[in-house]
Amino acid sequence: MSVEVKPKPVERKPAQWINLRGRRIGMWAYVVMRLSAIGLVLYLFLHLVILSQLAVGPAAWDDFVRLAKSPAFLALDLILIVGILAHGLNGLRLGLIGFGIGVPRHKIMVWVFLALTVVLSILSALAIFSEAK
Amino acid sequence: MEKSLTRERASSWSWILQAVTGALLIVLLGLHMVVQHFVVAGGLRKFADVVAYLSNPFVFLLEVAFLIVVTWHALLGVRAIIFDLGLKPTTERKVDVVLTVIGVLTVSYGIWLSATIVAQGRI
Repeated sequence: MSVEVKPKPVERKPAQWINLRGRRIGMWAYVVMRLSAIGLVLYLFLHLVILSQLAVGPAAWDDFVRLAKSPAFLALDLILIVGILAHGLNGLRLGLIGFGIGVPRHKIMVWVFLALTVVLSILSALAIFSEAK
Repeated sequence: MEKSLTRERASSWSWILQAVTGALLIVLLGLHMVVQHFVVAGGLRKFADVVAYLSNPFVFLLEVAFLIVVTWHALLGVRAIIFDLGLKPTTERKVDVVLTVIGVLTVSYGIWLSATIVAQGRI
């Protein structure tokens, strides 16, 4: 007796990953991962554009550095750091789990890495804005 | 209970590459941030400081390596997000080509830029 099972294609909406209604912490982590990823990719190319000022010369570069010391810019820097921390720490957790490390304690890991992200973000904010007096 | 299958092929090399480049980035990015803040008092901000720093061959190689790893990781991630849209295999191959070209161009630009910055120090 053969049982024929035709795989039913899963109906997908392209952006369905971004809907967080009714989802739990795992999905929140997934969305944070993707959003921070998109932000960081944009930052990567922006960073290369900014660094191009170094090829233009000292005057152009100094102009940028002056801008970079403004509070508004430092606020953007903080958003960047938080994005890096969220993405990096989350990624570290995913890498560990993916290689089988800590799987029985995954739920705890999620919360530990979240706490780490929050704590390091606060420390970064303090470091950035204490220097900007 | 019938498990509904998606059309995805088991393609785990991209995941492993993501993981490996990600792990390397924790080191390389950490290094990059530490250097930017501590190699010179007050941070690497003055033009002359930046040029002097990048003129060190070991530093140059490190920054290029960092750029390669970060671009690779970034584009693998973009690929994952795009592929999640559920495209035809032929379209996916085209996306692969486009992303590879973007990657090569980005790294090439970065190397050219770094060399140009170092050359500024010899003017």
